Amino acid sequence: MPKVARLHAILWGVFSMGGFIAAFLLPVLIYLVGIAYPLGLWPIASGDPTSSILNHHHIGTLFLFVTVAGSLYHGIFRFQSTLTEIGLAPAKRALEAIGYLIIIVGILAVAYYLSLLPGVLSLP
Amino acid sequence: MSKQKPFPEYRRKLGPGWWLHNSHFTQYMIREWTSFFVAVFSLIYIYELSLFASGGKDSALALMRNPGIIAFNVLALLFTLYHAFTWFYLIGKVQPIKMGKTMSKPWQALLVNIAFLLIISYAVIQILVLR
Repeated sequence: MPKVARLHAILWGVFSMGGFIAAFLLPVLIYLVGIAYPLGLWPIASGDPTSSILNHHHIGTLFLFVTVAGSLYHGIFRFQSTLTEIGLAPAKRALEAIGYLIIIVGILAVAYYLSLLPGVLSLP
Repeated sequence: MSKQKPFPEYRRKLGPGWWLHNSHFTQYMIREWTSFFVAVFSLIYIYELSLFASGGKDSALALMRNPGIIAFNVLALLFTLYHAFTWFYLIGKVQPIKMGKTMSKPWQALLVNIAFLLIISYAVIQILVLR
């Protein structure tokens, strides 16, 4: 298989994995931090969900990293492709470059910020 | 051998609203636009994590309570669930499973995966929030 085709296959494979993550893990995160906490709905009794999740160190940090990084990859990858379908096809290369830049910076930022908070990526 | 094509290639020009004239295309485009909400929610949450990490927990929590952000999150949840359900249906269409002499139907994959989604969501709440 040519190198470019192999890279393309890998990128689409990661995209597909991100789709699974966005489907199975993202809804509960959106509900907990974005709806249940500010509106005081079940299961949030007191405190904020991000701190509760991070209090479970390894598994909580891993959950946040996988969910946010996977969803970001899937969302940006698909969105830049969508833009080419509504009249921005001439800017395809530029959109891809911006998209990958946001993905790389975003994933590094998630890893960095989680490393500063208690959890699996924390330094001793 | 020349790579020149023996006849001119005809490419139909599509305007930005090509997907509005057919319900299948409209459904497809709504599916594609779910990615906007997935991406923007992820970026907002990364910003909130940055506030947590830099000691600005109060600012992060105030951002979560912003009515505009709450409204966006409700929309993001609806679009993410739309992504999830159509994704599950697609799995059943692309990879049907042989069950005896018959093949599984897409709606069966949809139901099984919705059950998985509920179990996983409840497990996350039980293990990471309630415990």
